[in-house]
Amino acid sequence: MKSLIANGKIPLAKHYNEDRSVKWSVKDKLLLGLSLSEYLAQAFRNPLNWLFAVIFTFGGYVTITRFVFGLGYVTHSSYDYPWGLFLGFGLFVMVPLSASGFMLGTTVEVFGRDDFKPIERLALLNGLLGYLFAVVFLQVDLGQPWRLIYPMFISLGPAAVLFLVAWHVATYLSVQVAELVPAFAEMMGMPKLKTFIKSMVLGLTIAGIILSTLHQGALGALFTYAPGKVHPLWYSAPFQWFHFFVSSVFAGLSMLIVVSTICKKTMAWRCDDNFLDNLDKLTLGLAKGATLALITYLVIKIIAVAHDGDWGYLASGWGQWYLLEMGAGVILPMILFTISIRNNLPGLARFAALIAVLGIALNRLNTALFTFNWKMYQEIPHWREVMICITVYSLYIVTYRFVLYRLPILYTWKKDEEAAS
Amino acid sequence: MKAMNRRKFLKGSLLGGVAASVVSKSTNADASASFGGYPDAMGVLVDLTRCVGCRSCEAACNKEQGLPAPAKPFDDLSVLDHKRRTSEGAYTVVNQYEITGQDHPLFRKIQCNHCNEPACLTSCFVNAYTKTPEGAVIYDPTVCVGCRTCMVACPFYIPAYSYSSVLNPVIKKCIFCYDTRLKFGRPPACVEACPREVLTFGKRKDLIKIGNKRIANHSDLYEDHIYGENEVGGTSWMYLSSAPFEEVGFDTHLGTQPILSYVKEFLTVVPMVLTIWPALFAGFHLLATRKDKPKNEEKSEI
Amino acid sequence: MEQIPKYLLRTVVAMLLCFSSYGTIALAGDGPDEVEIDSLSQLYEPVNFDHAMHEEVTDSNCAVCHHHTLGTQIEDENCIRCHAESSATDEIACQECHSSDRFEAEYLNKIDADKTLYHRDKISLKAAYHIRCMNCHEEMGVANGCQDCHTRTDAGDKLFHAGNYAPAESDKPASGGH
Repeated sequence: MKSLIANGKIPLAKHYNEDRSVKWSVKDKLLLGLSLSEYLAQAFRNPLNWLFAVIFTFGGYVTITRFVFGLGYVTHSSYDYPWGLFLGFGLFVMVPLSASGFMLGTTVEVFGRDDFKPIERLALLNGLLGYLFAVVFLQVDLGQPWRLIYPMFISLGPAAVLFLVAWHVATYLSVQVAELVPAFAEMMGMPKLKTFIKSMVLGLTIAGIILSTLHQGALGALFTYAPGKVHPLWYSAPFQWFHFFVSSVFAGLSMLIVVSTICKKTMAWRCDDNFLDNLDKLTLGLAKGATLALITYLVIKIIAVAHDGDWGYLASGWGQWYLLEMGAGVILPMILFTISIRNNLPGLARFAALIAVLGIALNRLNTALFTFNWKMYQEIPHWREVMICITVYSLYIVTYRFVLYRLPILYTWKKDEEAAS
Repeated sequence: MKAMNRRKFLKGSLLGGVAASVVSKSTNADASASFGGYPDAMGVLVDLTRCVGCRSCEAACNKEQGLPAPAKPFDDLSVLDHKRRTSEGAYTVVNQYEITGQDHPLFRKIQCNHCNEPACLTSCFVNAYTKTPEGAVIYDPTVCVGCRTCMVACPFYIPAYSYSSVLNPVIKKCIFCYDTRLKFGRPPACVEACPREVLTFGKRKDLIKIGNKRIANHSDLYEDHIYGENEVGGTSWMYLSSAPFEEVGFDTHLGTQPILSYVKEFLTVVPMVLTIWPALFAGFHLLATRKDKPKNEEKSEI
Repeated sequence: MEQIPKYLLRTVVAMLLCFSSYGTIALAGDGPDEVEIDSLSQLYEPVNFDHAMHEEVTDSNCAVCHHHTLGTQIEDENCIRCHAESSATDEIACQECHSSDRFEAEYLNKIDADKTLYHRDKISLKAAYHIRCMNCHEEMGVANGCQDCHTRTDAGDKLFHAGNYAPAESDKPASGGH
């Protein structure tokens, strides 16, 4: 893309082309104002796309075999370890990292912090795609994915925590789609649709906070069903939901910092000045929020250990692993964030955000897989499971990129009146 | 900040609150109360002092439940050389345990314990499990989505999943022979098959009395504990043993609370969030935007 | 009772006493020599039980198997508590007291209804045989496998997936389910 722009192509950002001679059609908007051959050429030139091609060919085949030969073919068919990477990574890691949606929605719409507006849509998109692909992972994992709607309409089990997760994720997806409709409406030239959504954005946002608090917490509460199975240091009957909720706050904010950094580095051509000029300041702002959540999380984690009297476990091998997770995944990013805020170092904040994201992934994988059945043998996921996770995650990245190239997320759509002037 | 007149604001937050509360869960059970099981529920007392590991119960179960043919005959006792668990083809298995200070091993029959307040039932979001008044915890495969949360929740590691099935994988576990026997007041197949009455079938409350009597009459033989009387809220299938229970493969750290008790702490938070969050965040919003009011009324709608 | 000769009265009383004592003291050789135990045989052939030999083995202490029903002295302290002086009964054979439908509703309801019954936990007929026989065989070091006392029938082979119904030999380990 960079060479095309150097040759004079301007990234499509309004309804008409530069001299108002041509109104962009839907096809033009999809192809970013390029001809089909130009578009395909730039796609082929991108080495990342070659990697994706390999992943989708091989991994796509493996994913299909899951549906043709059943779960027994792509997993170890474990009765003791019913949940593997599809849920461990696809659901439990991706959902907290997608918490940016409700975080920034709240910040801008509820708290009135309009200074965060430039990054709000990216946060909303991050949220939407993360949840959408968490559902894709869920569909891969469910024994009978065609029965996904059963807990909603066929046979309800309202006392179960998973019931809440199912309903909330479904409702929240709708909320997130609605929150992104204005971006879509701008690009497609549907002002009335945009006004309609904008009239209920506060309600949508508050619904989003409620739903997010509860389902982020509920994902943690799922593990309270297994008091003897999750290691005591990672388990807390009263606080598990709160651990998962508070950690989702800094997970979402950190993921947003990481994603915005990737956007700045790899698709700066798509970002406008409104985004790029404010990004460093916003990164530090997000870091502040993340730091507050990190310290809260750390305190409640310590309280949970004290509440159950688990200090003795810290001396064991698992205890050392726990201290490593807390040290590297929580305390280190917290310190780095603080330094970056006090010394105005957005670069350091970005690094800290990456560490925090990895720390969250480690915590969720520890709770769901590594310390699960801690008294039993350890289970290593099947290589096909790993392959399918890589494939679906790659699809997530490709979809992310597709939307970012087109919808006015990183750039501002120029309205006709402004374009004409 | 766009214009936000009072009517739009109230409509918005009400919509938000309603949208969220529509999906609220009703937790009508008093948080502290536990369900102690139906009063006339049946149960089985498993007396490990009598079991010799003949596996007749496994054979009978296999036939009664139409399970697939086993890899080895049921009279092949070499399978006792390693520990087995229930699987999609075996709703019950017998394991052998060497006991320190005892010259003969003990044998334990493993199957669903049909808990009074089952973890599988409380964790199922499609209500696939039912605790029947007869005491059986049965399962409806026609609604199961295959989320396998019940397998995570069961403290005894009982439910198995038919991963091998492509189109209809479902949970496989002992159902107390409900459909074919218990419903009609008859004992399950394993009880009928056992040659040494290791398995005593009767009302759960009577079995506790029987168990205590056996312990009293043979105090040097039995451990003074009926496993399952109180564990995880009480189970319909209970055990007597002549050796400490942890030596016979039992988890003795389960506590007496039903698994659901550990989840109730979160479940009580749910209605609090649903009711408090709308007002709380609406309040934050009013607080945050009170300085913008005069400016907002001048700006036009986008 | 006028005019019955004294000698006749004494003879009759003596004879009555002699005959009645048969009810309280069993003598060696009183029981059957062989018993075919077939009341429960479906999966296994009937058992040809050498009663005479087992009488010898127990040294005519019938109480080892028959509790107090033949008038012999019991040794189990749990039984002596109440049955120290229990006499012989009409029911001697195992199946006369031990039910073969121990867990069917009819029997369970019967026990439930009888509030004064002490022996609520009385084992079934099949269990009585196996526990009594096998425990002693274990003590005496006698063959104690299922087929040592009764061979399996065809129906039994089918249930156990053994004999003609055994699955093909394979190197795969028996499913452990992990």
